[in-house]
Amino acid sequence: MYHFDWALFWKYLWPVTAFQNPLVRYGLLVTIVVSIIAQVMGVILGLFAALAKMSKAAPLRWLEEAYIWFFRGTPLLVQMALLYYGLGVTHIFNFPDWHIGGIITITGAIQAGVLALGINEGAYMAEIVRAGIEAVDAGQMEAAKSLGMTFGLAMRRIVLPQAAKVIIPPLGNEFNNMMKTTTLMTIISAGELFYGFEQINALLFKPFELYLDASIYYLVLTTIWSFIQARIEAGLGERKGNIKTPGMFERLVGSRIGAR
Amino acid sequence: MAEIISSPAAPTDTSVIVKAEKVNKYFGSLHVLKDIDLEVHKNEVVVIIGPSGSGKSTLLRCINHLEKINSGHIFVNGRMIGYYEKDGKLVEESEKNIARLRADIGMVFQRFNLFPHLTALENIIEAPLNVRKTSREQAEEDGIQLLARVGLAEKRDQYPNQLSGGQQQRIAIARALAMKPSLMLFDEPTSALDPEMIGEVLSVMEELAKEITMIVVSHEMGFARAAADRILFVDEGVIIEDTTPDELFANPREERTKLFLSKILN
Repeated sequence: MYHFDWALFWKYLWPVTAFQNPLVRYGLLVTIVVSIIAQVMGVILGLFAALAKMSKAAPLRWLEEAYIWFFRGTPLLVQMALLYYGLGVTHIFNFPDWHIGGIITITGAIQAGVLALGINEGAYMAEIVRAGIEAVDAGQMEAAKSLGMTFGLAMRRIVLPQAAKVIIPPLGNEFNNMMKTTTLMTIISAGELFYGFEQINALLFKPFELYLDASIYYLVLTTIWSFIQARIEAGLGERKGNIKTPGMFERLVGSRIGAR
Repeated sequence: MAEIISSPAAPTDTSVIVKAEKVNKYFGSLHVLKDIDLEVHKNEVVVIIGPSGSGKSTLLRCINHLEKINSGHIFVNGRMIGYYEKDGKLVEESEKNIARLRADIGMVFQRFNLFPHLTALENIIEAPLNVRKTSREQAEEDGIQLLARVGLAEKRDQYPNQLSGGQQQRIAIARALAMKPSLMLFDEPTSALDPEMIGEVLSVMEELAKEITMIVVSHEMGFARAAADRILFVDEGVIIEDTTPDELFANPREERTKLFLSKILN
């Protein structure tokens, strides 16, 4: 019969005691910050990819197709290793550590991790953004053009604000995924939350207690996000009152259905 | 930048607002417009009628380059639309130049196409603010005046889905007028409306007809009689008749015009 170490379990769960360990403290910070930056990057890349896909210029479309093909066709874990270790040995790019103001150090591994997560996410966001743009009636673009707007202005002022209503719900789900996917950065020792728990486990060898703690941390993160997401979507539906937002229960236990 | 003013056949007569020469348009193998020639003068109101699929809407949409023509020229205010000539060949204009020309041509669509995320007033001031770079103060002042002109001053803060079809179309007319266009195009402006709302839109258009050049694709014969200087009957991509409404109704020259009129008048 396994002896469950409650003292250790609580020590690394309760923030006051857990955060005394910098591996947990900074790990949580890295997870949150990396998730946000990588998701923002994904949205921007996804937008450009979606526009490229709808472009009249064939080379742009080919570029987009190659991008989607590679980044959706290979595992993110491999992309991350290739970017960090692979590029490293070639000396093409080494991801030097950044020291900002002598206080904050952003390690090369974190940079590579953000880059891999962001670029990979862009390949998935491209489809979501494109579906959002296509959901907007073609008459909107025509009306905007007939008023003398260029394509770019019409996109920015007329089409994208309407597409956002379609894009934001799946974008929220993507961010939920992103927070969990950051754990892949463990492979390049980027120092996010799971890496922290792994390091602690390497010392104490209590995988059951420690990985349970890690799970609870991620569960708290995704649950908090679900509430934020519900608030955002409720705000979106307010004006038109026609977007059915899923209830909290459905969101927490059912939202994986149909996700990638 | 290409000099679009000195194109070869540009009309020099400043009273000519629209001039189309030998315009041809294909959708795939379908020949939609066949050698169309048309001149519309300042302050003229031209109504285009014709069976569905005859090319009348396409002709209208070519005038502001929402549809590309395959050959010929279209000039608005003496400037060629959509293309410039280089070494005897037509080259499509840059997007920026096309947008600049469109800013002077108002268009009203069958399905209104109001911007649903903007209020009535925001719909109207959007293009003046971002295309004409009018100050917000000025744009709002003009916008409120336009709302009053179409009889919807009290709806300024309503969103399109809170307005009836007729009200939406009147806002759409105000939105087009906000750019102070020299030409207004109406693409079946009343055909998506419930019958009881057609009148309110037509009366706004009739008022407008007194002061601005208009080309209207519509089967509203009452409007044509009251406001049109000319009426064109288009069939199979050709302008079959080009005359005054009274003349058309009294003596249609062609058999198919008679047939068509007998259908829509009954």
